[in-house]
Amino acid sequence: MISVKKVFKIIGVAACAALVISGLPGWISLSKQNEEQGGNTVVSVMFHVSSSSKEGQAYKKCVDAFNEAYKDKKIKATASYTPRTDGSSAYETALISMKLENKLPDIITFDSPKCSYYAANGYLYNINNMVADIKDEFYESSLNYYNGDIYGLPIQESSAGFYYNKTLFRNAGISDKEISEYGDETPWTYAEFSSVCERLKSVCEKAAVNMNFGGTADETTPYLLYPFIYASGGEFASEDGRTVTGYLDSEDTVSAFYFFKSLLSNGYTTDQVDANDFYNGKVGMYLSSGWTIADLRNKNYSAFPSGSNWGLLPYPCDVPGCAASATGSWSFGITQNHHSDKSAARELLKWLVNDESSATITEHTGMISAKKSVNEGRYEKGSPEEMLFTQLANTGRARPTMVGYSVFSTTFNQIVHELPRTDNLEKFISEKTAILQETINKY
Amino acid sequence: MKKSVKKIIPMQNGGQTEVEVVKGSSGKVALNVVYYVCGAVLSLFFLFPLLYMLAYSTKSDSAIAASAGTFAMFLPDFKNLGAAFNNYKTVFIDYKIGEYALNSLRYAIISIVLNVIINGLAGYVLAKFRIPGSKFFTFIILFLIVVPVETSIIPLFMVVKRMLGFKGVANILGIILPATISVFNVFLFMQFFQSIPKDYLEAARMDGASNLKIFFKIILPLSKPIVATVSVFCFIGVWNDYLWPTMLLVDNKDLLPIQAALTTIRGEKDLSEGAKMASLVITSIPIFIVYIAAQKYIVKGFGTAGLKV
Amino acid sequence: MEIIALLIFCLFLAVFLGVVAHDLYKAKKTNTPFRVKNCIAGILMIAPAVILCFLFILLPMLFSLGYAFTDYNQMRPDEVHFVGFNNFKEIFKEIGSGGDMLYAIKNTAIFVVGVVPLQILLALGLALFCSRKVRGSSIFKVCFFAPVVISLTVTSYLWLTILDPSEDGLFNMLLGAFGIPQQQFLKDPKTAMLWVVLISAWQGCGYQMLIFISGLTNIREDLYEAAKLDGANAWQRFIRITVPGLKSSVLYITITVFIGACRIMVQPMLMIGPYSEGLTLSYYMFLQGTDYGLVGKSSAIALLMTIFIGLVTFVQKKVLSKK
Repeated sequence: MISVKKVFKIIGVAACAALVISGLPGWISLSKQNEEQGGNTVVSVMFHVSSSSKEGQAYKKCVDAFNEAYKDKKIKATASYTPRTDGSSAYETALISMKLENKLPDIITFDSPKCSYYAANGYLYNINNMVADIKDEFYESSLNYYNGDIYGLPIQESSAGFYYNKTLFRNAGISDKEISEYGDETPWTYAEFSSVCERLKSVCEKAAVNMNFGGTADETTPYLLYPFIYASGGEFASEDGRTVTGYLDSEDTVSAFYFFKSLLSNGYTTDQVDANDFYNGKVGMYLSSGWTIADLRNKNYSAFPSGSNWGLLPYPCDVPGCAASATGSWSFGITQNHHSDKSAARELLKWLVNDESSATITEHTGMISAKKSVNEGRYEKGSPEEMLFTQLANTGRARPTMVGYSVFSTTFNQIVHELPRTDNLEKFISEKTAILQETINKY
Repeated sequence: MKKSVKKIIPMQNGGQTEVEVVKGSSGKVALNVVYYVCGAVLSLFFLFPLLYMLAYSTKSDSAIAASAGTFAMFLPDFKNLGAAFNNYKTVFIDYKIGEYALNSLRYAIISIVLNVIINGLAGYVLAKFRIPGSKFFTFIILFLIVVPVETSIIPLFMVVKRMLGFKGVANILGIILPATISVFNVFLFMQFFQSIPKDYLEAARMDGASNLKIFFKIILPLSKPIVATVSVFCFIGVWNDYLWPTMLLVDNKDLLPIQAALTTIRGEKDLSEGAKMASLVITSIPIFIVYIAAQKYIVKGFGTAGLKV
Repeated sequence: MEIIALLIFCLFLAVFLGVVAHDLYKAKKTNTPFRVKNCIAGILMIAPAVILCFLFILLPMLFSLGYAFTDYNQMRPDEVHFVGFNNFKEIFKEIGSGGDMLYAIKNTAIFVVGVVPLQILLALGLALFCSRKVRGSSIFKVCFFAPVVISLTVTSYLWLTILDPSEDGLFNMLLGAFGIPQQQFLKDPKTAMLWVVLISAWQGCGYQMLIFISGLTNIREDLYEAAKLDGANAWQRFIRITVPGLKSSVLYITITVFIGACRIMVQPMLMIGPYSEGLTLSYYMFLQGTDYGLVGKSSAIALLMTIFIGLVTFVQKKVLSKK
């Protein structure tokens, strides 16, 4: 006699077996990969987003269009999608493993501050001569240089600014006319910035401004705050990115950090505010990057019903002529791999950054294009996007290029974290600079 | 024949809960009430992250922002159930998390079967066989258990790719094989098998049973708790593994396990927080179920293994 | 690389053959010879595990420990140079001059000293709570276990929100109701690590609870009955019967919790950051190895940690198993 228990057991085992067997076709098809495709020259590209995301779909469209256009020339592009993660370690691990197996894709995408790191370690190929004819079509600040040569072309641009809550500004008695002056060609000054904060302070429940001082220790805080150091006349590193002593601990750089400290000591901001405080109307201004535009428009936050009631202001500047704003997103680069003939890769690279592709990507992501011609006339006058791309064209300045950028990023975070805790910033910064210098020397 | 075995082996004594009949003195009733109230409060203290995950997975982004930092963050948004549906729909339809879950399940099933056989055989030999050099293996096992080494994943990759050179379909082997060996499991098996009386095995051997037959027909059926424990550990290991399969399957995204899908979803900046939380709920649930189903066995498995480190 | 692997293999084979020879010699001396058929079967059955263990555990482990003596950069796995003890010199110099490494050691020490007793006591308490033979106690067991299966990322972000240092943070509001002034929690360098200790113990203790429960079920019921007849009260019974009965569980749990605690990384990384109050040894290793790509230095720290943990575990085993 067969018991019920036994029947269940048999069904369970059968289900497991069926599940495993159903996977076999997929596993066997693994071995058929990487074959030459009908006499075509195959050129491969790896993207840092998943194919289901909006950005991934845009890339898919561009690659499909390329294959359509180059059918006759017998070039075929294949795309793979390895999404970067929080620490971008999966993407990097994938790169390392592919390099070990000598099967790097012909084109990869990379975060622009990492350019030197990849170039110095032999991942990226020098494309200086290859793109000499098209490099003027991009904003100068967004091209990726290493040792004076171009190693990467930007996919899109990003910039940041101060989002503000119109109701709170009105309550603080800041007129539209005053606001419009801050947004024009001459950037507003630190003094004006502080004065706005002073008036906002009394009407905001939590703080006048969210400067991301208490942010998680990732790239966000350095990305949003580094332009202030340039705007104070400071520097991070020498031209070649090999020396930080004498730059990061210089008087001007330290003065920028003291400006941050003054915002804290005057009670304009704290290291305890987060994004939700702005979304809920408890903070008047919020320093954030371009993709907050889409969030504010679409997500119907309580302080911004139906996506309105907010505006965007540029970065302030202290030393005239030193105005700076955040730039730099992901870039395309050609790799040093087993293909010594880079002509097919060049065709694909040029295709991916041409105006049509750039427009497609911008339409999908809502970010600003890296091409001047695509942006022109695209945005309404007075729209936040228009402000961002004008700022980008006028004051955009890239993050420092250095091989040890991750070390720099951690150091920057450590300094910002220390702001409310120490009175002797010079000492702390010079200590950290010495350690940073020592670590950089190892690359 | 089987029944007599159970009598010999004193292992299934724990576990069964004798339910005390709540009758009699009112003091005892009061004590029980206090017990249940304390238990409920404590449970809430340990369950609230689960409530938070479930609640967030049902909300739209604006609802999440509005409820952050208040007690409302532990309650689902009943007014807007469409948001919950959307979140789960995105994860299942757009990001195909179900397919990745099936991949993970496949790897887990194969790994568990191999894990039990390979480590079980090793434990059997170390527990019941007298072979020259067995001390050497026992020492290495104890060493590897006691001294944890922060291993980099890159050397493992170099071993698999450069020396073994897995290509194509063999990549699947590369994913499964490292998950099939675990010195801790060998150790658990060894400890458990030592409690099985030797004369019983000798009797089977007298009947002409081969070593493998003894292992599969006698040892394993007697060792359900430890097999369950090892299977659970193996399942969780495979289910949570992420970086290693990603390295091996760089250009075969369809075969990646569920954690890869989870990381993709978490890194997506145009995806709502609710959908991200929904994906976390989906990946946590199987582990939770497996633990609940197997916890009785795990308790027994640990109990009888004796844990003589 | 293949050559090094072969060398390691030969070394292991030599040691193994030595042990085999020793065993055979001893067997001959005591006149208890091995049965050849049995030996062959045994070796065949243990072979798959040994081969897999060598390839997938030992070899990568030895390689990564070996990197401690090189300048291995993550992005250049094919260009590795031997640098002797440079990495170790650098680490000790950093400890001497009060750099990040010193903070990492300090914070790890605070964490270990705090979490090991706390987590064990919590687990024991919960286990005793669940072992009461009343209907429904196994449901509590499942509830207490819940945080163990939830990802560290989720609980870390959740606690960050709850422990919001501003006035309207959840926990501050709760404290305010009892008249306790506003606290900074994780933002205060003095208390940050203590909160990480509390949160880790809370999340991890469910697992040790299961082991304690299994230890409790193994204590024979009649011992308690006998003690009751002798007139021992609950506390005496706990000290005289329960505690000695749990000896092997306590030993095992102390060692595993200690090892786990030494490797604390995710919680301080997500809840505090790479600062003087948040750096731990594993976190520092992660920064150096994965983030900066300087695998040589990170492996050197790993080697030092391994030696330290090995020594402490050895001492723990000796001390605890004596009692």
